[in-house]
Amino acid sequence: MTIREKGYANWEGETTASPFRWLPIFLTGVRSVFRKKFSKLLFSLTISPFLVFLIAIYVTTKPELKILAGLIKQLKSDAMIFQSFYTNEFLVFMLVVVSIFSGADLISADLRFKALPLYFSRPLSKADYLAGKMTVILFYLLLFTLIPGLLLLVFKIVFTGRMAVSFSLLAAIAIFPIIVALFFGSLTLALSILSANSKLIKILIFLVYIFSDNIARVLKNIFHNDLFYLFSIPKNVYQLGAFLFRTGEKWNYPPGYSALLMAVLTLVFISLLYQKIRKAEASA
Amino acid sequence: MNILMDKEIIYLEDVSFRYGDVQAIDHVSLKLEPGIYGLLGPNGAGKTTLMKILLGFLRPQNGKGVILGHDLALQHKQIRAGIGYMPESDCLIPGMDAVSLTSYLGQLSGMPRQESIKRAHDVLYYVGLEESRYRQAETYSSGMKQRLKLAQALVHDPRLLLLDEPTSGMDPGGRREMLELIKDISRKGTMNIIISSHLLPDIETTCQQVLIMNRGRIVAQERIHGLNREQFNSFEVQITGNLESFLRELREHDCLMEENEKGYYRIRLPLTMTARFLFQTAYRIKAQIRYFKKSQSTLEDAFMKAIGEDG
Repeated sequence: MTIREKGYANWEGETTASPFRWLPIFLTGVRSVFRKKFSKLLFSLTISPFLVFLIAIYVTTKPELKILAGLIKQLKSDAMIFQSFYTNEFLVFMLVVVSIFSGADLISADLRFKALPLYFSRPLSKADYLAGKMTVILFYLLLFTLIPGLLLLVFKIVFTGRMAVSFSLLAAIAIFPIIVALFFGSLTLALSILSANSKLIKILIFLVYIFSDNIARVLKNIFHNDLFYLFSIPKNVYQLGAFLFRTGEKWNYPPGYSALLMAVLTLVFISLLYQKIRKAEASA
Repeated sequence: MNILMDKEIIYLEDVSFRYGDVQAIDHVSLKLEPGIYGLLGPNGAGKTTLMKILLGFLRPQNGKGVILGHDLALQHKQIRAGIGYMPESDCLIPGMDAVSLTSYLGQLSGMPRQESIKRAHDVLYYVGLEESRYRQAETYSSGMKQRLKLAQALVHDPRLLLLDEPTSGMDPGGRREMLELIKDISRKGTMNIIISSHLLPDIETTCQQVLIMNRGRIVAQERIHGLNREQFNSFEVQITGNLESFLRELREHDCLMEENEKGYYRIRLPLTMTARFLFQTAYRIKAQIRYFKKSQSTLEDAFMKAIGEDG
């Protein structure tokens, strides 16, 4: 006998109060991003720097390959190799594209379809909701930074046959992608909550990335002061790499400034997000 | 403060909420025992704000409360775990079919994944969406979206169901089915229901009690069955002749009147007056009563009386 014929039937099970209430949001978000059109193409492009650096690491362990001596000279230390991998312009640009692809509509689509009352009528806090959304972006950003970074390290050990990895290098390999992912993730969500129009948000994130760099260049050229590069997202990412891998500053200011700025901006974005979501909950 | 007497599902004491200068909820005190309640009131009366306070979307600036045995100020998650909410607005989660959406929201309520999927099928069948449960929710008609919203509110089998305008946007057949579903759920007796609606017949046919709100206050709390005898002496009459004078005379004696589509008048006399007053008045001013029928007092009478007394 079906439920409709016999009337309303109670559910016999028990709900649980898990500390990971955000997990279904994360899993559903990851699945929905993966099912998007062009996701495989985008992910293939984003993984390509890993393949290039895998070859580079192999080459650096083979000094007998004289034909590639120039490259070996450039990648003179392990720190330089990993910093170059993490901060190369193509990868940073692709991380912005991945942020847009995976996160631009995470909140704006919920606003467009008025889904917030459905979320907040569940035993979910605002932090749970934001954690669920944020972890979707973090997953994809770390998939193309932290995981390849650790794999490169493993391959390097395999190619050289030595476990010669300093703790500071290991820490930098792990921390750099986390800071960058948190920065791009919080920026993406902070912009995603501004409008129910996802296309607008995608354009906005892209413009923020492009204009931050262009404005920084213009100001630097006008005032001849490298500090204006603090306005540039890609240059701050580079400087963060220089700071964590201790490869020396490329421009005439301490790379720690960029690390500090990115950390502060991440906190500001998260705080703005939290305030916005509080307002959205009240008006849900 | 997990203290409340088991009997009460909602206990509010002196709860107030302001939106800037607007007093949306004005020192509301309320004790609701298990049952099915209708929440009535004109636009801006504070019904939606009250629902948002019960769900913890809004924090009252004054007063305290206990919902399902949990402190309103401190235990939002526990309260929400026991509530199923069907919002008024057309809301859904994009990119999902009905099964995925219902099961997803079940998981967010703390149900195990497999259980939530099985239960999603059951409740979608129950609300009449069995045929279209694998269709994207965005493609649903407004009536189907209403059913889906009811399904997602039921998936975790809550103790308290809050329904905000549950028949909004539904055709007459769909509306009748929705009201049948609500009555069926309430018959089971395990779920308490609060229905906010501006459609008085919906409340009348489904609820045991009605709460009438006006200007942020609860101005009346009545049993639906008690309404028939308590509010007015109501009659339906057809008048010919000196109609204007007849109506003026009644108005002077605090009677309420309204004309229906057939040209008959529904006249509500204060309880101290009987039909004899109508005939005496008609005789005195030379009007004729061509049709006369005693009508039952309804929820509408109670609503008008409560709002009228509140000014």
